[in-house]
Order: sequence, then C-alpha cells, then structure tokens
Amino acid sequence: MHISTPLSGELARYLDLSSAELKLTAENMANLDTPGYRTLGFDFAAEMARSVAEAGWARRGPGKDVGPATPKVGKVDGLLERPDGNNVSIDREGLNMAEAQLQFRIGTELLKHEFSRVSNAIHEDK
Amino acid sequence: MNLFGVMEVSGSALKAERIRAEVVAANMANAETTRTADGTPYQRQHVVFGAAGAGIGGNFRSQLLAADGLFSASPGTVPGVQTPPGGVEVTAVVADRAAPIRRYDPQHPDADKDGYVAYPDINPLTEMVDLMGATRAYGLNSSAVQAAKGMITASLDILK
Repeated sequence: MHISTPLSGELARYLDLSSAELKLTAENMANLDTPGYRTLGFDFAAEMARSVAEAGWARRGPGKDVGPATPKVGKVDGLLERPDGNNVSIDREGLNMAEAQLQFRIGTELLKHEFSRVSNAIHEDK
Repeated sequence: MNLFGVMEVSGSALKAERIRAEVVAANMANAETTRTADGTPYQRQHVVFGAAGAGIGGNFRSQLLAADGLFSASPGTVPGVQTPPGGVEVTAVVADRAAPIRRYDPQHPDADKDGYVAYPDINPLTEMVDLMGATRAYGLNSSAVQAAKGMITASLDILK
C-alpha cells in the first residue's frame, strides 16, 4: 500500500528545486563583493520537467527511488560585469529569493492538501 | 538539499561582512596613529574576499560565534573557520602600500629632524563608504537567513 501519491512525489521535487534555488541565491548574495565571482543559477522550468520525467520513468520501471532532485547548475550570462570581474546583481537575487520563498510556500500548501486528501481517504469508513 | 545549508552560506557572509566592518572601524580608529609596534605610522588595512570552494561545512553557530580576534591572528591572515562550499571567506587582510602623509609639527614627539610627522593616509569618506557597503551587504544576507527560516517553518507546518 502506498501513502505517497504521484502528486506528492512531484511536489517533493518542486520543493527540492525551490530550496536549491534559494541556496544558490544565498551563495550569490554571500559573494556580492568577491572579486571574479560569477553568478550561479539554473533553468527552473527545464529542471522541473526533467525531474518529473525522471520520477515518472522510475515509477513505471523497476520501482527504484530516484532520490532528491539535483539541478544542473551553471553560470548565468547576460549580466552586467563590474570592473573586478564580479557580475552579481542584487535586483536579480532579491527577486529570485522572493520567488523561491513563494514557490516553497505554494509547494508546502499543496503538499498539505494532498496529505489531508490521503488522510480523508483513510478515515472514509468512520 | 538541505535548507540549513542556506543558513551556513549566509552565516559565512555575515561573518565576512562583520570582519570587513571591523577592519573599517580599526582604520578609522587609527587614522591619527603615528606610532605602531614597529615604530612606523599605522597602515590602512584592506580585506580580501574569496569564494569558498569545496570544503567541510561548519554550522551556522560556529560561523557566527567563531572566536577569531581579528588582530590576534598572525599578520596578514585571519584564522580559518570552515566555510561551507558556495560561501564567502576573508582570505587575507592586507596593508595598503600608500605612503604616509607628512604634516609639519615640530613639537610632536614623532617628528623627524625636519619637523615633519608621518600620519596614515586614511580618508574618512572612503572608510564610511566601505562601512556602508558592509552594513548593506550584512542586511541583505540577514534577510536571506530570514527567508530560509520562513521556509523551514513552512515545511514544519506540513506536520500540523
């Protein structure tokens, strides 16, 4: 019997990626004044699609757990570079942090609802 | 992925910015110091930040409460506390090589034979701008800690 549903697995991946996003934003903010530091980031939508596809494949396959979602992190280009070689933009990082927080909030709320739905199904006979 | 890792990274930045503010304070406090241990006028100090690569992560508390008296360290270095990967660390505190400013004051005990006294070349404006930068960056990273705290609280709410 399974307590976890496909949706709860996907939400867990969504939360993994949101917290990875927050951690990268925190790293970029920490290195705001480090000479030569390049902004790190990943494509959220593409990584989410890849991660969900991976999880779906694993569910249909031998039933192995694929583990937490780990995004492919790369250097962000197209940002204005300062003379010291650092290209961290406070505006970009501030927005990303707000976005990651809201995404995480959405993820936890949806997960709560999913679990209460499973809980309702369990208590149906009462 | 561990949400507490965010706190470690931001903690390393809080520490680095605090050291930067301490160095600015030391520079301003010694703006008129004409005599140091080796007999020369005080030299302005700079912090050098470096991105921490792979390393052994410390925890948030050890990052913040590390007992590293800035000037008890061996000259030019700050004792290493383990900085988490992706965090920031103060790799060195280096002295400015600018020549001292000479002011005519023959009565001063440190005056040379021509009556000139060597004072450190410290501009209060530059120091204030640096201090302001350190303060703002500290605030930015502390708001990142607040964000991580909010997310941890939200995930604890799932249990309710």
